[in-house]
Amino acid sequence: MKEKDGMNVMRESAADIAAASVKIAARGVQVFYGDTHAIKDVDVDIADRTVTAFIGPSGCGKSTFLRCLNRMNDTIDICRVEGRITLDGEDIYDRRVDPVQLRAKVGMVFQKPNPFPKSIYDNVAYGPRIHGLTRNRAELDEVVEQSLRRAALWNEVKDRLQAPGTGLSGGQQQRLCIARAIATSPEVLLMDEPCSALDPIATAQVEELIDELRANFSVVIVTHSMQQAARVSQNTAFFHLGNLVEYGQTAQIFTTPRDPRTESYISGRIG
Amino acid sequence: MTEQHILRAFDRDLEAIQAQLMKMGGLVENAILEAASALEARDEELAEKVRAGDRAIDAMEERINDEVARLIALRSPTATDLRMVLSVMKIAGSLERIGDYAKNMAKRTVVLGRMPTVGSAGGSLRRMAKAVVAMLSDALDAHVQRDAELARDVLNRDREVDQMYNALFREFLTHMMEDPRNITACMHLHFIAKNVERMGDHATTIAEQVIYLVTGHLPEDDRPKAESVTDHGTDGGRP
Repeated sequence: MKEKDGMNVMRESAADIAAASVKIAARGVQVFYGDTHAIKDVDVDIADRTVTAFIGPSGCGKSTFLRCLNRMNDTIDICRVEGRITLDGEDIYDRRVDPVQLRAKVGMVFQKPNPFPKSIYDNVAYGPRIHGLTRNRAELDEVVEQSLRRAALWNEVKDRLQAPGTGLSGGQQQRLCIARAIATSPEVLLMDEPCSALDPIATAQVEELIDELRANFSVVIVTHSMQQAARVSQNTAFFHLGNLVEYGQTAQIFTTPRDPRTESYISGRIG
Repeated sequence: MTEQHILRAFDRDLEAIQAQLMKMGGLVENAILEAASALEARDEELAEKVRAGDRAIDAMEERINDEVARLIALRSPTATDLRMVLSVMKIAGSLERIGDYAKNMAKRTVVLGRMPTVGSAGGSLRRMAKAVVAMLSDALDAHVQRDAELARDVLNRDREVDQMYNALFREFLTHMMEDPRNITACMHLHFIAKNVERMGDHATTIAEQVIYLVTGHLPEDDRPKAESVTDHGTDGGRP
């Protein structure tokens, strides 16, 4: 019977994802770049304290959709977002929402590590400083240490916090960017191909870190590596030509996808 | 999936393990038929051939397992590809077991050849073996053609094999009660009948793997079962 129970867990579907505590809910989201219809009517529920992976071929809209979740698309003039996206039930596109405050709650890590040309310490302290999250130097020191520890970087940099962040190795720089993103105590962490510029060891370290971060954050990761999606995520969403084709538990998507387009893509066929 | 992989070597690898599995299936079907013929015709030479042939079947299983391990390591199969690879490994295991049963039949055939014949069990056993070979052959065809319907048909046919076994079981009991000198031969014949019945079970396991391959889950266990010999107690149905 044990075996059978195991199979049933894998058969659970998007309905079970919805049953988990929802952090971000998107309904009828459309994105246009000028005349280009980049995201077509996407509905999705992102669960709290879970890693959700967005996969799909280049140009399928997964990064565009990710950038809607903290209004990064606001910075692109010709970009227009329609529909409703809520964080804990509140509309993030509401007039009263300050995008800067939103991005402190919904942090982001990019493809290429992009530390500021400042010291390691100042890279992490930057967010807490501009948002006034700490009252004195001791508190700030504490936040910097905690963030670096959570990013699994503390032991490697604790003796050279004043050294420039750009002097670290690629993998360390990316973990520094993760430390910087989590220093403002965000609730959601968006990662846009965070490992594509890293070697396999650094990738494994970041993946391990993502798995640990899941205890405190809702993590959404865009990745071109399907194996990475399979390794780090609990839920996977497959995008194709601007549509959300299939969304389900990662184990189900990778063993018994329901849509033939998902099957073609994940098994490396011409889709 | 009729679409091809972007990486064509992946398709070639999958086709190769499928072809090897079918080759192994052919060897096993042959072993069953020859073991049954040898039994019926009391052909010791053919029985020896079946015993010796089991080594080739075992070697095929090992080769298939190696290929499957290599394919998983190098190609990271997913979805249908993953289920295909897993099903090949499990089916190869079932085929190997069936091969062992055929070998055991052949061994007992050699022993039985030195005893007087009992009843007409040889013919019944050959018919039973033919029914099992037909199930096996359809289960393997269903695997190649990804045909879940044909696989379900195989599942339903196992009941007939079970019924043949039950009939033989009663027949052997009768012979043994008639004359205790028949007991040794009947015990061997009964083990052979049980082996063939177990082959049928393995054929249904293979059919279940086909259903897993096609649908992504194993069938629910609701197929009809023949009444079992154990339902009658062990006194041979004495009044």
